Amino acid sequence: MKEEIFVSGRNIPDIDPFLNIWHWQIPIYLYLGGVAAGILFFAGLFTLLGKEKEMPATMKWAPIIAPIILVLGLFFLFLDLKHKLYFWQLYTTMRFESPMSWGAWVLMAITPLSMVWVGSYMKEMFPWWDWKFKVLNLFESWAIKNRSNIAWVMVVLAVILGIYTGILLSAFNARPLWNNSILGPLFLVSGMSTGAAVILLVSKSHYERTLMSRIDLLLIVIELFFIFHMIMGFRAGSAVQIAAASLFVGGPFTITFWVFVVLLGLLFPALLETLELRGFKVPVIIPAILILFGGLMFRFIMVEAGQITRYLY
Amino acid sequence: MEKSSEKSNWRNGTFYLNPYLGGMFLGLVLLATFYITGRGLGASGAVKNTVVTAVHTIAPRHTENSHYYNKFISTDTQPMNNWLVFEVLGVLAGALLSGILYGRLNFKTEHSPKITTKKRLIFAFSGGILFGIGSQLARGCTSGAALSGMAVLSAAGFITMMAIFGTAYIFAYVFRKNWI
Amino acid sequence: MTGPLIPMGYIPEAWNNVIAVLLGAGFGFTLEASGFSSSRKIMGTFYGYDFVVLRVFFTAAITALVGLMYFDYLGWADFSMMYVLPTYLTAAIVGGIIMGMGFAMGGYCPGTSFCAIAIGKIDALVFTTGLLIGIFAFSEAFPLVEKIYESGNLGSIKVSDSLGISDGVFTFILIIVALGMFFGATLVERKVKKVEY
Repeated sequence: MKEEIFVSGRNIPDIDPFLNIWHWQIPIYLYLGGVAAGILFFAGLFTLLGKEKEMPATMKWAPIIAPIILVLGLFFLFLDLKHKLYFWQLYTTMRFESPMSWGAWVLMAITPLSMVWVGSYMKEMFPWWDWKFKVLNLFESWAIKNRSNIAWVMVVLAVILGIYTGILLSAFNARPLWNNSILGPLFLVSGMSTGAAVILLVSKSHYERTLMSRIDLLLIVIELFFIFHMIMGFRAGSAVQIAAASLFVGGPFTITFWVFVVLLGLLFPALLETLELRGFKVPVIIPAILILFGGLMFRFIMVEAGQITRYLY
Repeated sequence: MEKSSEKSNWRNGTFYLNPYLGGMFLGLVLLATFYITGRGLGASGAVKNTVVTAVHTIAPRHTENSHYYNKFISTDTQPMNNWLVFEVLGVLAGALLSGILYGRLNFKTEHSPKITTKKRLIFAFSGGILFGIGSQLARGCTSGAALSGMAVLSAAGFITMMAIFGTAYIFAYVFRKNWI
Repeated sequence: MTGPLIPMGYIPEAWNNVIAVLLGAGFGFTLEASGFSSSRKIMGTFYGYDFVVLRVFFTAAITALVGLMYFDYLGWADFSMMYVLPTYLTAAIVGGIIMGMGFAMGGYCPGTSFCAIAIGKIDALVFTTGLLIGIFAFSEAFPLVEKIYESGNLGSIKVSDSLGISDGVFTFILIIVALGMFFGATLVERKVKKVEY
């Protein structure tokens, strides 16, 4: 018997043929990051526009959620790490060409910043609140005085964070579904839309709700535009990209994508928001929850489907 | 002035489609359903699918051994089960939309002034149980068996329809205090 | 394109459930807009103060039936490819009777109760909970009722065949009967005292 030995570079479990390394933690992390980016973006933006008085939920109440979900998201990311004890090494390096490095540093900056932001509003929200230490009181008065400066930094960081949640995926140039430049803006817009949905849920002021509904509607339209162009771009691309898009158009992700993301996560809430702006009575919780759920599903299927797509055949 | 009062009128919850027009729309939706999927609409099947999936998740051995559950657990042979769940998702969305347009959205328990809310809820609950049992026995409810069955001239559709409405007329007399 | 589109392969199976949501939305919208989200309006049919259920139900069935027959005649759809609910005579009658009782007590059928839930009716939510429990109870008690469930199997027969008349004639008779019922309903409605709900 003659023996033959085959040597193949393709026997890489969990990477080839399909990537199988990212599970539920990553999409939730990206989702929470996007929502937080959206909330903080609007808080910063409306501070800079001088609308603090009219937008209480955007300024004070919704941002309470931001640091909580940012920390929660980081915790999920931590759970996903294989070598958990080495997480700090992300911070020993600063690489401009690596989105992971960008993300790590942005999160490092925006998480404490969001805490400072919430802290500066604590006494306004809860009059009984007491910082107990003199240092903290001094810091608070400094933060309140410099709120517009903080807002500037926060807006910029929120945009970077929102884009990062998409770029993290698109930097994987071996996965055709992720490797497209629309993903960054798409995730940013989607994150802002979910952030606006949180504000809508929290807000009690009619003015604020109407304004946020309008903004959210616009964001949904932009998001739909991006999504359709992403798919059209894929379909006009090479065979692997067409194969990537076909996961959503007739493939295994068709139902989740079209039903939960496009129909019930974008189009239907957009219709409800339009009706509300036209004066119909719509319980705001319905479009808001649908948008939040649709955004979550979108990240889940993008992460799942992206791992299936590949160049090698 | 005239127009605005008319407009507010169809938003205040009292506007309903002309029944023949509504029936025609419903018929066209049903026709489209048959034309596209080859099957009719349904409602109780979605609840059945929920029950089967729930029980199957909790006790897979039990569902596999049961003569009834195991008819529905294999998704390869029964692709339509899932279909109804998505259809009902659409029903909820469509009804919500109509409720918003015509101003009928609010939490309430509707009942005759002659009975209490509690009594209404007890009867609603019992009626639901009976409807659940009956729909499984007849292989479909008013939508799935009677309406969709009649549209394709299924004998079962006509028989079920007559049984439902006939019995309902008799029992409507028994329970008349609950309604009028 | 000869329908039904999905079984014939014109539309890939993957789109089936996406289309389900859209068709369901049309179904739900029409039911709600016709007033089927109110149990007291539905029950009007049985007390003579509002025959909306009778009108909508029969108009819908006839519209779909006539439409399907035209589609078949014009070659747009193959009537024989449509799923015809098999007739289990005893099961259909007994099941129908139980549902009729449930209808008179609960005031909803499953489809209408979903519509009513969507606009916030609490009684509908309770009805649907009962529905779930009823289906669960039936499934668990199936060995006891299996005989009735399987009895009287006549296969997927058409009512026109079992009556020995053609589809067209039966449909024509059905339309006449429906028109008669609509006329009668209007007469009854005039006599019966209106019920406010």
